[in-house]
Amino acid sequence: MSQSTKWVVGVILIVAVVAIGYFVSKGSSEVSAEPIKIGVVAPMTGDLAFLGEGIRDAMLLAKENLGSTRYTYKLIFEDDQMDSKITASATNKLISVDKVDAIVSFGSGPGNVVAPIAEQNKVVHFSIASDPNVAKGDYNFIHWTPPSEENKVFIAELQRRGIKKLGVFEGNTQGAATLIADLREKLNGTGIEIVTDQVFNSGEKDFRSIIAKAKNSGAEIYLLMAFSPELEVLAKQIKEAGINTPLTSVESFELSDQVSLFEGEWYVNAADSAIDFIDKFEVKTGKNPTLGAANTYDIFNLIVVAAEEFNGPTKPTPDQIASELTTIKNFSGVLGNLSVNEDGIVVSKAAVRIIKDGKPITVSN
Amino acid sequence: MRNKIASFCEAILLRKHNETGKINKMDILPQFILNSIIAGAVYTLVALGFNLIYGATKFFNLAHGVMSAIGGYTVFYFAKTLGLDVYVAIIIGVVLAGLVGFGLDKLIYLPLRRRKASNMVLLVASLGAMTALQAVIAILFSSQFKILSQNVGTQKLSTILGGVITQTQLVILLSAALVTAGLVALLYKTQFGKAVRAISDDEEVARIIGINTNKIIGYVFFIGSAIAGLAGILVGFDVGIEPTMGLGLLFKGVIASIIGGVGNIYGGVLGAFLLGFVENFGILKISGEWKDAIAFALLITFLIFRPRGIMNK
Repeated sequence: MSQSTKWVVGVILIVAVVAIGYFVSKGSSEVSAEPIKIGVVAPMTGDLAFLGEGIRDAMLLAKENLGSTRYTYKLIFEDDQMDSKITASATNKLISVDKVDAIVSFGSGPGNVVAPIAEQNKVVHFSIASDPNVAKGDYNFIHWTPPSEENKVFIAELQRRGIKKLGVFEGNTQGAATLIADLREKLNGTGIEIVTDQVFNSGEKDFRSIIAKAKNSGAEIYLLMAFSPELEVLAKQIKEAGINTPLTSVESFELSDQVSLFEGEWYVNAADSAIDFIDKFEVKTGKNPTLGAANTYDIFNLIVVAAEEFNGPTKPTPDQIASELTTIKNFSGVLGNLSVNEDGIVVSKAAVRIIKDGKPITVSN
Repeated sequence: MRNKIASFCEAILLRKHNETGKINKMDILPQFILNSIIAGAVYTLVALGFNLIYGATKFFNLAHGVMSAIGGYTVFYFAKTLGLDVYVAIIIGVVLAGLVGFGLDKLIYLPLRRRKASNMVLLVASLGAMTALQAVIAILFSSQFKILSQNVGTQKLSTILGGVITQTQLVILLSAALVTAGLVALLYKTQFGKAVRAISDDEEVARIIGINTNKIIGYVFFIGSAIAGLAGILVGFDVGIEPTMGLGLLFKGVIASIIGGVGNIYGGVLGAFLLGFVENFGILKISGEWKDAIAFALLITFLIFRPRGIMNK
């Protein structure tokens, strides 16, 4: 090969490499330049901050474990202290200032606040909430163990233990009302009756009179449906009233950062997540996954799967993500094989747990 | 949708049926009476300080409630964080709450009074002080609920006429009685008390006859705030503390003061116990979620039919 030919081949090679590099980089920048923004509204301060921190850590863990994707993903966290007023302003900020494509919220109360705003602004909303009303509309979804699943397991455990009379203390919240209404329906014909149902407002700290009303009801176990700190104060005042009747809950015990108050008590909660997820979470945070952490991990991945499925040159719109989400079936999540049903609900199973040595232990999945 | 509404209504009806159908009222009556007395004692402590300050200044000091949080958090810091003896921590808590109240008067209210500011201006200033102090407490200690008591669930329980009462609640009852007696003695048996009553009757006349009204009002702020601090500490031991705890206590203290007769010490005590009984017995047959609604219904009833309260003519 002559010197001039070598030069020509060399120039052609350089031009070809530069051209390929230019078009490849141009092509990929068109896809990944604009990230898909996911806003997370959770309690980062206040009494339930430990739950919000668990949700944040699970989200970050899910993003770290993402691997190679067509689009990039950006997480934006907003603190709502699980206060509906703050939830509304945080949601509006995420939509109008941060221009998020999707929002993740925690709890039925905040979920009910975010849902209509997300629907109106055509933004995907995934809530870790038990109230099925949160999933109403084209853009709203839920990933939680629904009350119907939890109540099935709860009633089976009551029957297994031979309990016939149930007492209820419930905070005046959407989640508790939904669960108790479903429980009443399911208890029909089981021979188990709710002998007392004491409702109290959020923020209440003096439960002595409602405890006195419940005391003589003959309840064999008390179901506590409350958030922290009402949950801890209620448990303390029940003990101070000289009541030794066992306590139970659906989810509530894990809403407390003082689970040792409920040492030895059984309760129902979402089924265990995959061991692999628990290990990864413990390595990252040094703690066990908190309530809703596994759901959060799955939600992030569900949104990613829906977005990646679009496979277009630019990032998908929230409308397209919502549309893809409804088609997801048998997705392998940390909470099992997940499918989005026709109501926009991702159903996961419930389990019986017990507080042992200050830690939740699963008795039956 | 219709089915859901129907099942929801059914759930409410069933709930009421369960509450009314199976409770033996005679069994729970002693406990309800005790609960009412305990609630009345807590409201008394808040209302006493509130009435004392209102009597001397004639404005609604909204920052009064936050003094209870200052008392509670001071005990939390000294006893639980620094490990100081709990009785020493309580004394520090009471004194610090008094000093903060005294400081608010000297730094905010007194300059405003000197400028002949209206009661509305003073009320807004107190609202600002309350918000700022609550925010400072939340920054220093976080807004998370904290329990002061060392012996959760292991307190010695006493039975009085069939009702159960804890040691902390006995201390609350005793404290309310002692503080009421002490305040009455202070107001009716000392020169200082005469001066306070003279200012309550007419501050201008009191000044003309040689009473240093600003100095006396400063002391009144100290005493009233210290009592609120004590209330906060006792509530902290009984239930727990959070930065916003003062607002709820203030609401109840103000309702007690208004229905008893605002500015009247005896009226405050009477109003506090009336509120405690109405609030607790009000939910004997209906759901506990109505408790606050009952308290405010009582307030509205008094505002319409007897706005000056039971004791004031």
